[in-house]
Amino acid sequence: MKLRNLNIVIAREYLTRVKKKSFLLITFLAPIFLAAVAVLPSVIMFMTEDKGKKVAVVDESGIVMQTLTDNKTMSYEDFSQQPLDSVKACFSKEGFDILLSISPLDSSKTVSVSAYSEKPLSVDMKDAIASRVNDALEDYRIESYGVDGLKDIMEDVKSDIYVSTYTVTEDGQEKITSSEVYMGISLVLSMIIYMFIAMFSGMVMQSVIEEKASRVVEVLVSSVKATELMFGKIIGVACVALTQFFLWIVLTAVLVVGASAFIGIEQFGPEMAQEKAQEMMQVSGVDMHQMTAAVENTGLEVVFSTLGQLNFGQLILGFVIYFVLGYLLYASFFAAIGSAVENEADTSQLQMPVTIPLLIAFFIAFYAFKAPDSPIVFWGSMIPFTSPIVMLARIPFGVPAWELVLSIALLAGTFVLCGWASAKIYKIGILMFGKKTTFKDLWKWLRQG
Amino acid sequence: MMLKCIDVCKTFGEKVALNHVSVDIPKGKIFGLLGPNGAGKTTLIRIINRITIPVSGQVLFDGRPITQDDVEKIGYLPEERGLYRKMKVGEQAMYFAQLKGMSAAEAASELKKWFVRFGIETWWNRKVEELSKGMAQKVQFITTVVHKPSLLILDEPFSGFDPVNAQVIREEILRLKDEGATIILSTHNMESVEELCDNIALINKSQVVIAGGVDEIRRKYGNNNVELVYTGHSVIKSVSGVFDVLSDEQQGDRHICVLSLEEGSDANSALRNVLEQNLTVNSFKELVPRMNDIFIKLVTEGV
Repeated sequence: MKLRNLNIVIAREYLTRVKKKSFLLITFLAPIFLAAVAVLPSVIMFMTEDKGKKVAVVDESGIVMQTLTDNKTMSYEDFSQQPLDSVKACFSKEGFDILLSISPLDSSKTVSVSAYSEKPLSVDMKDAIASRVNDALEDYRIESYGVDGLKDIMEDVKSDIYVSTYTVTEDGQEKITSSEVYMGISLVLSMIIYMFIAMFSGMVMQSVIEEKASRVVEVLVSSVKATELMFGKIIGVACVALTQFFLWIVLTAVLVVGASAFIGIEQFGPEMAQEKAQEMMQVSGVDMHQMTAAVENTGLEVVFSTLGQLNFGQLILGFVIYFVLGYLLYASFFAAIGSAVENEADTSQLQMPVTIPLLIAFFIAFYAFKAPDSPIVFWGSMIPFTSPIVMLARIPFGVPAWELVLSIALLAGTFVLCGWASAKIYKIGILMFGKKTTFKDLWKWLRQG
Repeated sequence: MMLKCIDVCKTFGEKVALNHVSVDIPKGKIFGLLGPNGAGKTTLIRIINRITIPVSGQVLFDGRPITQDDVEKIGYLPEERGLYRKMKVGEQAMYFAQLKGMSAAEAASELKKWFVRFGIETWWNRKVEELSKGMAQKVQFITTVVHKPSLLILDEPFSGFDPVNAQVIREEILRLKDEGATIILSTHNMESVEELCDNIALINKSQVVIAGGVDEIRRKYGNNNVELVYTGHSVIKSVSGVFDVLSDEQQGDRHICVLSLEEGSDANSALRNVLEQNLTVNSFKELVPRMNDIFIKLVTEGV
């Protein structure tokens, strides 16, 4: 192989793609989209909060109204002295948002509750009302047993366990972590690498087909060897992918930092999270005890603690190594397939044996974030056709070094073998016109090449 | 010899594409590579270009076995040709020139000269998809010759050109020959073979059927006929032992007739006999068969 020719081919493949408008568009829009996804939930939480709802209450049971206390989201006013129908007729004119009607207690010490409003009630509101009424009823029932101090006993008996997860480093340091965060990272990583491998090796195939269909290819192979052309193309597209990847990382980081500064950084801080949770609690009426435990351990604090512990350098390195090797393997397959057809419509049949392992890998990776150490995931991360995606899903959970080395070595070895075989098919395929190619033809070319 | 193919064989599976093919291509001449579709011309050209590797046989370039480096000295215009549709004309021409070993600066200055010569300087920044087929062919021709190849292989170079542009290309080919390039011309257009080629080889069914100088071959396949145009009151008669009148057609007061010279006779004695018949001779010329006829004869008889 001539290095000079290889470089010229790489430069063309790279520059024509990077200069395209669509490349610029995707490169700059995707991080904006990602950042939006990251920031949006907290923005939405702010915007959709129900505030200052005025509730008119007709309490025929006589036990609920006394427990209702005003808070930021709702304030209550007692209309129990008036008949329901007349209140119903005028509550909205009087400036109330909701009319709450509570029936008298029946024999089984329960009530039925109806809420009337002009606009449909939000789910949060409905839940908040239900839990308030439930609390009042529970208190009433406890009291009705006439046992002294029963309420305290009941409170005491309640159990609510939350498992806090910690990782212990070798030097004995404990760090609080969230398994959900690991799962999320694992899932996102395997999805991105799957997308990257499928997208960019598909790009190689398209480009091979384009050269064949436009008949540029014979002019080309009279100047460069077919192998130079094929590997030049594969490497050129890989450079495009890496450029895009690094631009995305940089841009997403810039945007996330910028956006959080704009909205107010404290919103992401632990105090804010706690405050927020308390507010939520009041709205929903969830038990204080239970909620504090949850807030302590699942708040953004833990997410940030977990994120802080993740070795981003390692993740990025892992992504780059597995993307490059996995892409090289699949791109050489796709180049061989592209060489065998004259237009994209003919690819579907020949593509199947290549796209299926890729899909299987994706499904195993889906399993990996639930059970990172199960046998199927282990083998999936060793077998070269699935390892780039499955191993990347495992990396956030930590993988023994020997497994990484073995998996990378197997993948690299398979690429060398398959790249060599694909080049043989490619060399013959690109000059074949007319007849539709079958697997038998591919096998024949492989032996001829 | 610029290029020598010695005993080249190529098979694709069971199919024999080239069967012990040997051709000699002299330096500085235009060599016509002829043959019906599927005869093996393209395979031979691809072997010369080192796109395919022969099963056996040798290709000598300038007297020594051809290497990958020699490919830079070849300019190849394949029959199945094309350009990147989405790429700009100039960038694309630069790409091909650099792949043929030119530096970027050298490629740019040479390409500019060619663009000016063809009057297409304004196309440099246009995309290929905006060009007509003939325009694209011009660009393609330039990319084939810009690196001053010592061997040019042109497969159907005139296809896609209108008569005016075909003439431009024809003149360029002759000019390149004058500058010392050796040219292999593969075409089905026998008129251009007669006009341009010094030597030819005809390949049929994977084998060389005939090879040699164009004039030589035409004379060899001539069946000793002469065309005579005369005016006179009498009609020409056959002279036994000298010539036989094959046809005599009257056009106005002129007669155009074809005489077949008999064994042992020649044009001079025929002319002498014609003059004895008291006719006014307007023209008398040897009838050499058209390459077209020779081609058809050899290919159909070869069945």
